[in-house]
Amino acid sequence: MHKTDSMTRKTNRIPADERPERHQIFWTTLLVAAACAPFARYLDGQVTAFLALILAIRLVALRWPAALPNRWIRALLAFAGLGNCLAAYHTVTGQDGGSALLATMLVLKLLELDTKRDLRLVLILLGFLSVVQFLFDESFQLTLYLGLIALGLVTLLTELNGGLGAAGLRPALRVSARLALQAIPLTLVLFVLFPRLTAPLWSLGIDSSRGLMGMSDSMEPGNISELVVNGELAFRARFAGRRPDANQLYWRGPVLWKMDGRRWTPDAPPSGWQRPARLIESSDPIEYEVVMEPTKQRWLFALDMPVSEPEGTAISPDHQLLSNQPVTALKRYNARSVLSYRTAEPDERVRALALELPANVTPRMRALVEDWRTQVADGREERADDWTLVQRALAHFNRENFYYTLLPPKLGANPADEFLFETRRGFCEHYASSFALLMRIAGIPSRIVLGYLGGETNDFGGYTIVRQSDAHAWVEVLIEGRGWVRVDPTAAVDPSRIDNRLATELLGAGASVRFDLGEAAALARWMRDLRLLGDTLEATWQNWVLDFSAQDQRRLMDRLGLGAWQEYGLAVLMVLAVSLTLGGILLVLMHERTERDPLERLYARLCRRLAGVGLPRLPHEGPGDYGQRVTAARPDLASTVGGFLALYVPARYGERSTPETLQRLSNLLRDFDPKAQSVQSAFRGKVTASNGG
Amino acid sequence: MSLHPTSSPARPNLAESILLEAGAVILGKDRELRLALACLLARGHLLVEDLPGVGKTTLAHLLARLLGLDYSRIQFTSDLLPADVIGVSVYDRASESFRFHPGPIFSQLILADEINRATPKAQSALLEAMEERQVTVEGETRRLPEPFFVIATQNPLFQVGTFPLPESQLDRFLMRIHLGYPAAEQEKALLAGEDRREMVARQRPALTNAELIELQKSVIRIHAASPIIDYIHAILQFTRGSERFAYGLSPRAGLGLLHAAKSWALLAGRDYVMPEDVQAVLPAVAVHRLTGGEPGQRIGDDEVARFILTNVPV
Repeated sequence: MHKTDSMTRKTNRIPADERPERHQIFWTTLLVAAACAPFARYLDGQVTAFLALILAIRLVALRWPAALPNRWIRALLAFAGLGNCLAAYHTVTGQDGGSALLATMLVLKLLELDTKRDLRLVLILLGFLSVVQFLFDESFQLTLYLGLIALGLVTLLTELNGGLGAAGLRPALRVSARLALQAIPLTLVLFVLFPRLTAPLWSLGIDSSRGLMGMSDSMEPGNISELVVNGELAFRARFAGRRPDANQLYWRGPVLWKMDGRRWTPDAPPSGWQRPARLIESSDPIEYEVVMEPTKQRWLFALDMPVSEPEGTAISPDHQLLSNQPVTALKRYNARSVLSYRTAEPDERVRALALELPANVTPRMRALVEDWRTQVADGREERADDWTLVQRALAHFNRENFYYTLLPPKLGANPADEFLFETRRGFCEHYASSFALLMRIAGIPSRIVLGYLGGETNDFGGYTIVRQSDAHAWVEVLIEGRGWVRVDPTAAVDPSRIDNRLATELLGAGASVRFDLGEAAALARWMRDLRLLGDTLEATWQNWVLDFSAQDQRRLMDRLGLGAWQEYGLAVLMVLAVSLTLGGILLVLMHERTERDPLERLYARLCRRLAGVGLPRLPHEGPGDYGQRVTAARPDLASTVGGFLALYVPARYGERSTPETLQRLSNLLRDFDPKAQSVQSAFRGKVTASNGG
Repeated sequence: MSLHPTSSPARPNLAESILLEAGAVILGKDRELRLALACLLARGHLLVEDLPGVGKTTLAHLLARLLGLDYSRIQFTSDLLPADVIGVSVYDRASESFRFHPGPIFSQLILADEINRATPKAQSALLEAMEERQVTVEGETRRLPEPFFVIATQNPLFQVGTFPLPESQLDRFLMRIHLGYPAAEQEKALLAGEDRREMVARQRPALTNAELIELQKSVIRIHAASPIIDYIHAILQFTRGSERFAYGLSPRAGLGLLHAAKSWALLAGRDYVMPEDVQAVLPAVAVHRLTGGEPGQRIGDDEVARFILTNVPV
């Protein structure tokens, strides 16, 4: 009883004009839902489910207000939401947990919109939630999307506050669109000139690269085929000169040395070995620029073999290009590689590492290798050399019934044995893994290289797109006198893996993510072009916006000749530019005000034309006096000027302007050329004179 | 061709015909007549400043006749008392009470002749009545007739025995005009023509009181668009900022300017105000408020007005 009383009193206390209107609640809910939608990709499933539930309750309650939970249930829901986040992330701080909690509480606040103040709070928090999403995704698409959400948000706030005379959503939208337009120059100025943080974001406790699908530093059956159905971007590369053929594009990533029977791992190489990595011979290097998505790993991808070390990187003894810091943000580097090379011979310790065998090598694997080793030449048996053995192994994969599939059968305790002799269905990792193992059995040092193969050429942007689906694994074997030699056993099985892109049938029924309909279909070509165009936009966005750094600012300052002012230059420049921009906007607005009236513009045009024939209007001259003066000076203009003024004067001073008047006035002016008329009348005068003569 | 397009105001021909008839009696003073009529239609009072004998009285008389107003004339002298203007209460023995005898001010049109010859006390009695349109005698408020219109004449100050009107009093006149000597042509016609007094006496009223009041009301309805308001405001601002004038124009002067311009527009047959209307009435409306009560220094009202106008863009 007492409770009901207090609640009634509470609702009664709120004046009617402070209660939010239904459509405001509706649109706010919709906006929150729209802002949460792209976020759902990064949130834990149970958090997303909770958000959806609350949003649904809110929408239902809009139709049947009785469904709105009361104070106690709301409190319970708040605790449930908190518990939900804790259950999903075990924390409510940090990027993931914090964002989840923010989204949860924002959505819960939707259930408690008693006053317009609540609504305002929700909208402002929504702005924050939108910005938080940039920690997860900085793509151009999302930026556009969030831009639209911001526009909606400002529209609702404008309407809510009745700002700038906007009553109703439509005028409010106009107002906020105007605001957005006016904000653009300022945004540009601030973007270019606002001093950039040089400290990376992770020092602020924010993790800017998270949950990335990407290459890991180990390989076991299944983890590359996971990648291959993932169309996400790995990196973009732009070649300085001609792009090499697709089957030359082996993008070298982590090198794996150790095999435990199932899993390949890098294994820390013994310290102090063979530094730096040396190439004995090499072809001319090719140059290219890579813009790489964050991986949280230290390795960078470079074409086999990298020969240059960009700033902040080093080439490891096994020829990996490694960054000094994990790549947690977009990384741009220029690299040089040689496509044909001969590496130096490693020492015994390295050789031993590359020959280590796991415990589960089976006798039939040894027998297979022994079979290859023994070769019949001129009727007598002799031992084949290492390189011949490599060729025989490749021929084995090619001749025997090996299939290439993304959906290989499950392998048991000894994957290599089972694959080689029983299932014979696998993907590049199976081939590379078993091939490397067989080589080790044969006494040939081998190692696995992970990376990407090929990439799609984007002719719009002139660069190569490498996606996660281009992930690949291959083998390097150490051949006496030739150093480490790259061998791609997968290529032996199915050459189309290199020459063509994966076709749908290869991906299997389960993987419908990517498809290549073939060049014949015009629609397919068109779709592909559209996709590439979109990617070009995205790349441009990265290039010009996301990657705009403190260094770029410094370069800009130098170019403006303000390099010496490093310290304050940017700030001064920013203040200057901001004032100039604001001043410009002000001028435009003022000009708009004086010249806004279309009627005035027409009159000004008439006066300008008359001024052109030496009859300028005096500043203090009214239209009537001016017209009389003009008529007296140029009787030939009387009909047009008089006709114009006869329409203009009542329209202006009697305020009887109609669109029709304006039309007629502008028609009159269109054919009005006092200069031409004077020539005409002079000519006419002459004719009359000569007639008279 | 006419550059002042006519729309249909209340009764355009009426005003025109009045001016035509007046022009037949007072020759060559069309602009002054038009101003006087405009002043009356705007419910303002008129100050005519000139030498004796140029037709001030004739003008007042003529207007009274033409407009069908009853008319009285007060000759201001230095011994004139307020009671001579307003009236006195006299003891009536028959009714054993005081009875109010209304003074000459209880007329529709009053000619206050040589107003600057009277003492300030008598002047202010008239001027207060002009402003309030009512007089209070012995605690009783009496309304003046409607319409109520005062034409005051004033001699140039170099004549002896004059009390100049202070600025505050001058401000109560909507317009001040000068009649001046007639041009040669008109003067000869005047000399050759018949007696003006007889002509005036013969004049038939051109309209009834009700019609006059209706005309006055339609002046108020004349439309003044925002550019006109802006223009008038700019003029006021200019006079306040200019070093040439000791004081700028008052808000009342601004209102007067607007009303006079509206009235002028009505006479031109328009139902909206043009900048030219403001410019036409400016010399009569503004200058006497700016140069103060120094009619002796005749710079010329038009000249002062031109100075203002050329400095304020339309």
